[in-house]
Amino acid sequence: MAGSGHAPLREDLDVLLSVRDLEVEFPVGKGAVVHAVSSISFDVAEGETLGIVGESGCGKSTVAKSIIRLNDIKGGTVDYQGHDLARLKGEELRRLRPDLQMIFQDPISSLNPRRKIRQVISEGLAVWGAERGSWSQSRIEELMLSVGIDPKFGDRRAHQFSGGQCQRIGIARALALDPKVLICDEPVSALDVSVQAQVLNLLEDMKKRYGLTLLFISHDLSVVKNVSDRIIVMYLGKACEIGNANELYEHPRHPYTRALLAAVPEPAPTVDVSEGDISGELPSPINPPVGCRFNTRCSHATEVCFTEEPAMQRVGDSDHYFACHHPVAVSINA
Amino acid sequence: MAGAHVAQAQLSVRDLTVRFPTGRGTVQAVNGVTFDLARGASLGIVGESGSGKSVTAKTLMNLLPRTAEVSGDVIFEGEDVRQLAEQGREHFWGVKMTMVFQDPMTSLNPVKKCGEQIAETLRYHLKRAKKTALAEAEDLLAQVGIPEPGKRVDQYPHELSGGLRQRVVIAMALACEPSLLIADEPTTAVDVTVQKHLLDLLDTLRRDRGMSMILITHDLGVARGRCDEIAVMYAGRLVERAAPQTLFGDSRHPYTDALLRSIPRIDQPSHTRLEPIPGRPPELINPPEQCAYAPRCRFAQADCLESIPQISGVAGMHEFACFHPANTDRGREALAANLALGRTAAGLEITGSGGSS
Repeated sequence: MAGSGHAPLREDLDVLLSVRDLEVEFPVGKGAVVHAVSSISFDVAEGETLGIVGESGCGKSTVAKSIIRLNDIKGGTVDYQGHDLARLKGEELRRLRPDLQMIFQDPISSLNPRRKIRQVISEGLAVWGAERGSWSQSRIEELMLSVGIDPKFGDRRAHQFSGGQCQRIGIARALALDPKVLICDEPVSALDVSVQAQVLNLLEDMKKRYGLTLLFISHDLSVVKNVSDRIIVMYLGKACEIGNANELYEHPRHPYTRALLAAVPEPAPTVDVSEGDISGELPSPINPPVGCRFNTRCSHATEVCFTEEPAMQRVGDSDHYFACHHPVAVSINA
Repeated sequence: MAGAHVAQAQLSVRDLTVRFPTGRGTVQAVNGVTFDLARGASLGIVGESGSGKSVTAKTLMNLLPRTAEVSGDVIFEGEDVRQLAEQGREHFWGVKMTMVFQDPMTSLNPVKKCGEQIAETLRYHLKRAKKTALAEAEDLLAQVGIPEPGKRVDQYPHELSGGLRQRVVIAMALACEPSLLIADEPTTAVDVTVQKHLLDLLDTLRRDRGMSMILITHDLGVARGRCDEIAVMYAGRLVERAAPQTLFGDSRHPYTDALLRSIPRIDQPSHTRLEPIPGRPPELINPPEQCAYAPRCRFAQADCLESIPQISGVAGMHEFACFHPANTDRGREALAANLALGRTAAGLEITGSGGSS
């Protein structure tokens, strides 16, 4: 599984965020490093929702955190409106950060338990003051109303709300500084099924209302498809397939994408379940396989997959790219 | 038909009620749950957190804290399970009825080798000699599809991946050849590809051994392909029970109906607008004498707020607890009346979009 190369980068669109050859490593002692993200390139157009999907350990959260510099970047560039986020430091980085906000998986632990939620939501505004919209009681109340929290509960603390409500508060906090990009890391995974839909719909509404660009990370393939325009499938620190959400799910070209889709308890009707199985264990990201990183578990693998890393290639002239030497054939009757 | 069904039942739960006294009042965790499980069958119990599904399982396994107030009958192969505990029959649980939990890391002992942990079960319950038990443990690891079982018996849980750890837990649960396995969210902590393998494994083992299974999950999709029957729980009550095809294709309880509509489906195009269920699950302390779902229900009528609908229908076919069931004339009338008013009897404002036809 490879996914190196810049093929998926688009030039003709209003690209807001462009990630090139992103590389992230974490030292784990004794000179060993975890290759968390290895040479990933993708871009996000303004107003688009990009979904990142993959199993635990594939590096999807690391990609998101790198973009807002919550972890160090070893190589590559993250271009945002002419600034390279990967190189920015100090005051320059600080000034750009309000543009990129994040909401997290665990809604309750991501809110300060000792603060009133009014303070939680307004903290960013208090720091930035007039530069990012004025700090006023009515602004906070407007934010609370827009995410469906009654402003009269502003003096309560996080533990007095349910998980779904806490996630709404987290969204209000992220929106307070009027960001351009909202990064959502598994935002509904900790919520009950009956509440998930409320939060997903809220994110769609907020995206329209505030003109947001979304990066949406989830391990749940159905959830990712519902919110995304484009989707990247990641495996062991690499991108293996990028494409339009509907097209990718209907005609997966990478064997790993097909395996993922086939494993969903309610698989996509067009995916051949019988052939899509993968066996074995995820290899260690400390010593990732040479060649295609998926070669240890792929039923299509041949010699070339163990020596040569497949580059990203385009399907016809569509917005669909994959990195595989032996892609899944497109079924004609589908 | 109903009588025959009951006669064959391996497990019979009757009017099970569990209460937890707390400082803020009594939590009514499980309320009058009744079901039968035939030998070799699999039952899925589906519900959200707080619906009582895990408490029901823990009651069967005698794992509730001492403060819990339990009433009702649990009969397993002719024995009264709730009396077994008082009689000191500790070899019932772990031998005849066993359980697999959600998080394999916390259900395994981190400082004991995998083989020893399985052998421990065999030595304690079946009084096997140490050597025989260890050999059996290796054999069990092979049966649950763990590669190189000879090597794995000597490894500690942290050396295994999440999927393999859960296989070790399953091997442990199967060690004494139980006739009923209760799996409580067995695949919630693992990835989809691993989930598929584990569910396939449980399926195969169940069929090969003629074992019955109760699969507890919050994921309707997981229960769908793996169970002969699915029971839906809400606020401590069983609200609907049917075969998967019936439940997914012709649901009756408005909660089941709404739940199926609110979940994003993989075969829908992206950006399909979801139909969320308004509000959130009710408090279980001092709930009012009404249908617990009424405040969130688009079908709610005055009678829903006056008494609690009891589950009824043909046992083993399709049972549900609702006065104005979805996908029936009575339900359609109730919904049409509510839509005309713009609100339900419980005061929930509704509009024409979404909801059941």
